[in-house]
Amino acid sequence: MTLPAKNSPKERDSALLVAIGTGDRRALEELYLSYHRRLARFLSRFTSRYENIEEIINDTFMVVWQNAKDFRNASQVSTWIIGIAYRTALKSFRRQKNHAGARSLEDYPEQTVDPTSDAEVNDWLKRGMSQLPIEQRLTLELAYHMGHSLEEIAAITDCPVGTVKARMFHAREKLRQYLPTLSGGASELPVRIG
Amino acid sequence: MTSRRTEHSAEHHEVSALIPWYINETLGDRESQRVDSHLAACTVCRDDLAVQRRIREAIHAQPSVDYMPVASLKRLQARLDAQPAEPSVSQTLPAGERSFRAAPWRAWMAATAAGILVAVGLFGADHWLQMERQLPNYRTVTNSIARPQGEVIRAVFAPTITLVELQSILDEAQLRIVSGPTEAGVYSLASNSTLTVRASLALLRQHPTVRFAEGTQADPEPGNAP
Repeated sequence: MTLPAKNSPKERDSALLVAIGTGDRRALEELYLSYHRRLARFLSRFTSRYENIEEIINDTFMVVWQNAKDFRNASQVSTWIIGIAYRTALKSFRRQKNHAGARSLEDYPEQTVDPTSDAEVNDWLKRGMSQLPIEQRLTLELAYHMGHSLEEIAAITDCPVGTVKARMFHAREKLRQYLPTLSGGASELPVRIG
Repeated sequence: MTSRRTEHSAEHHEVSALIPWYINETLGDRESQRVDSHLAACTVCRDDLAVQRRIREAIHAQPSVDYMPVASLKRLQARLDAQPAEPSVSQTLPAGERSFRAAPWRAWMAATAAGILVAVGLFGADHWLQMERQLPNYRTVTNSIARPQGEVIRAVFAPTITLVELQSILDEAQLRIVSGPTEAGVYSLASNSTLTVRASLALLRQHPTVRFAEGTQADPEPGNAP
């Protein structure tokens, strides 16, 4: 495999995918290792079971292996891979009855400490997130945790931009209900604007 | 008057929907300016911006779990080995390489050592050149004075790294220290397993505390270099 001498991560990913399309398993190994941490961190926010995380990642890369030759650069490689992981995760979470393997409310016991503390806000946030429909939560995580743009999330989730905005809107509204300290008056909190 | 209110309401809803991406700084310049202008006049959106920023901060503050990818990769490799045929092996590849691809995973893993200089040339050329220019005249990551036995990688870690972190990174990449650190902070690392140097390098480079990591072996596949 010959890669450009000065290659950005995007160029490197593209070159690796081309190589994978020709059956290069060394390239698959390299791509796998460069994405594993990012995907595992993302997925660990939805399930605490590593066997589920590994299954989703490995299923994702089986799809990458089988379809790399058909990749036509309609999107970035990272968007394509995360999109596959997104759909694989969605199927996996739906397959588990009532998200049995996903983080549940029991993971976040009721708190009685100072409600303005960061720890309390974080606990409420976890509880609120766990109550969101999976598509809304994934959208929120893709934007806030992974830092994806609106258009990238539309590509990853294979939805129109309007749908992404709507999911995010509903997620924000529901979180406000779970986060009374935030929705009750942002100005009272030590938030940083600007 | 009603028309202006309607316009304001439409603008408010459209801009409000963009706030998450204003926060994660992925909007284009034009959209960002649009949000800026609206925020200057809309207290509701300013409050929402503060709330959303707080939510994003809290999401980032939640601890993430890091997992070791090597065992998972091996299970993926086993799945691939169990497949009846590979999806698409290029007919333009040399016959020797094609037949090698058909061999079990371990066979090609052993062969990956042959591609090390490709990784060296591609991912480290700039670093090597810069280090050559910048480092003083004693043993560095790039000079070739008496390589310690078994050395396959030279690496530099952040000065703040703890021993526990260092050992954890080396365990993950299945490497061990055979020499170092030098005056320039260079460690010579040897492989602890059948994991390829390329794989170990990829694992090392995932860690922000690894400032530099390059293979030291010569390219056994002339013609592959860029």
